[in-house]
Amino acid sequence: MKTRGVSTAACLTVTALLLASCSGGGGDDGGDGPVTLKFQSLSDQPAAIAATEKIVGEWNDAHPDVQVEIVPTGWDGVYDKLITQFNGGAAPDIIHYEAASIVPFARDGYLADLSEYMSDERRADIPEGVLESVTVDDQVIAYPTELQSYMVFANKKLLQDAGVEVPTGDTMTWDQLRDIAKATTKGKTYGLGWGLASPTAAFMSLAPGFGGEYFSGTGQDAQITIGDGEMALPELVDEMAYEDKSILPVTLTQSGSEAIASFYAGQTAMTVQGSYQAANIAKDAPKDLDWVALPPLAGPKGAGQAANPQTLSVNVDSEHVEESAEFIEFFTETENLAALNEADALIPATTSAQELLADQLGDENGWSTILAGGQNFVSAPYLFVDAYAQWKDTVATPAYQRFLAKETDAAVLQSQLTDGWDEITQ
Amino acid sequence: MRVLVRPAQYVALFGYILFLGFPLLWLISASVKSSAELNSLTVSLLPGQWQWENYAQALARQGLVHSAWNSVVVALASTALVILIAMPAAYVLARLKGAIRVAGVGWILVSQVFPVILIILPLFLILRTMNLTDSLVGLTLVHTTYTLPFALWMLQGYVAGIPTELEEAGSMDGASRLSVLRRIVFPLLAPGIVATAMFSFVSSWNEFFFALVLLQSPENYTLPITLTSFIGGEGKVALGPLAAGSFLAAIPSIVFFSIMQRKLTGGLMAGAVKG
Repeated sequence: MKTRGVSTAACLTVTALLLASCSGGGGDDGGDGPVTLKFQSLSDQPAAIAATEKIVGEWNDAHPDVQVEIVPTGWDGVYDKLITQFNGGAAPDIIHYEAASIVPFARDGYLADLSEYMSDERRADIPEGVLESVTVDDQVIAYPTELQSYMVFANKKLLQDAGVEVPTGDTMTWDQLRDIAKATTKGKTYGLGWGLASPTAAFMSLAPGFGGEYFSGTGQDAQITIGDGEMALPELVDEMAYEDKSILPVTLTQSGSEAIASFYAGQTAMTVQGSYQAANIAKDAPKDLDWVALPPLAGPKGAGQAANPQTLSVNVDSEHVEESAEFIEFFTETENLAALNEADALIPATTSAQELLADQLGDENGWSTILAGGQNFVSAPYLFVDAYAQWKDTVATPAYQRFLAKETDAAVLQSQLTDGWDEITQ
Repeated sequence: MRVLVRPAQYVALFGYILFLGFPLLWLISASVKSSAELNSLTVSLLPGQWQWENYAQALARQGLVHSAWNSVVVALASTALVILIAMPAAYVLARLKGAIRVAGVGWILVSQVFPVILIILPLFLILRTMNLTDSLVGLTLVHTTYTLPFALWMLQGYVAGIPTELEEAGSMDGASRLSVLRRIVFPLLAPGIVATAMFSFVSSWNEFFFALVLLQSPENYTLPITLTSFIGGEGKVALGPLAAGSFLAAIPSIVFFSIMQRKLTGGLMAGAVKG
């Protein structure tokens, strides 16, 4: 009897499911109704979700004929999802993602050329290096929206106790960082904590300060160069960790988020983090931790950091490319970008939004220093290299990890990075 | 010496349970800690300050409850379909002799070696032609198809364990083939069916990739998809709300298991056949 009951319930569930499915669907636009644009959004923070909804709501109110529907999606697995959507002809109209990941889609012809839709005002408002990061074969394939930079947060008390003056000014040199780290390393306190479990992104982003470019050429024709500029930062970290002994060793095996716990606990006087961590430090740091964001790091070639902005692009197969571009133009207006970036604790991709945010927030939670780094972004050659992702995962990250663990020396690292590239591109 | 055996057994059992249950305990602990505490070097199972707000945040997040309902529907439906298809098929596989059986078993094994990433695009295109991409029915069919080979493999092992003498005895008493199956084989197969159902349910409940790729509308999202929204870009993770959401997500699974495990009893056939 019981078995029969379970079977009946199972059959009813299946039937209900089928009926529910049959009554749903059919989300396509009607012939004469308003156009509906699907906007696949990756906003994940509650405040950023609210900011995105507000911007979309304002657009929908002002444009009854072109309605935007948000399709929230997580970052995890979104690349595979997009590949399938593009190949299956089911991609959304407007796509939120990051420059490093959309370039291959643009090369494969899945993204619309937005050059003709981007207003002169917007084009002039985006720093050159950032605009280059979304330009493929002279076509603007996305609007940049949000960026993060690497920066140093310091425990003011530990610096003052070590007799170190807290750096001010437009930039701070790597030599200054090294000196401060040495000076603040005492007893169980280390000068610096740097989460370098996956070091490639940090080394690639900060290499421009040392003149490091890693790649020349684009697509399949790209060539790798591992010279002094590319090796400078890994070698500096190695020297700080093993000669100066001013980097807390365990942090080299941790993620940035994990390494921040040592900073909270006073085990490290400084920590290198993504700029967005300023908001988390303000929220989670112990009340008695007097912290400060130090000026952007500058190497011999300046304070440049490789730009890999979050982006909004348009599906080339969308029936409404023009309307989608108009929406993105609206989305990236100064007030909207400022609100979104404040919610996400990131750096706006336009100068006017950076200035507005700086006016609104002043020095609160290190914002003025964070935003000061907004003009230092330069184009990142690795974005335009076809085999970069494979090289990063299978060659660079393991090679850097072995180097930072002192299993190999600089010469071996250099040859591993180069030989590994040659192997995967042969 | 013998006096020590029983306490030692209990200690070993307790250690084993602790080993198995610790991740769940840690999950519950993380679900009631503040982000400051989760980012502190001080490790403790009990939170310094109970942060119930994580649960409020998890429940408020993008239709967690609705996603849970979708997961329940898909998992139950695919489990029901898997069992309905696997029961007769497993019987045939277990009892049949010859080339068809070898080919069938071979196909089951071969079907397990295809990586998901290899089949997702053709699958997407097939489902798209049937208008089943952004649909719970489509996802149910995919979960059924994906789980069926292993379920079949599991169940045919249970069928093979039922002595054919029992079926012969039924036939000699005048029962038809169908009657033998309904009155003798399937009841004896109950523990195997329960084990297979549990496997199917959990496979569907936890499945992420197919759901991620196939489902386009938030109202159709299943739990794993909604839970990933707590993991952001740039390494940002809302750990407290994620733990709270994950614990809430585990509850239906725990309930399902607690109901089904009573049926998961072996030894039904003990003494059924002489010698």
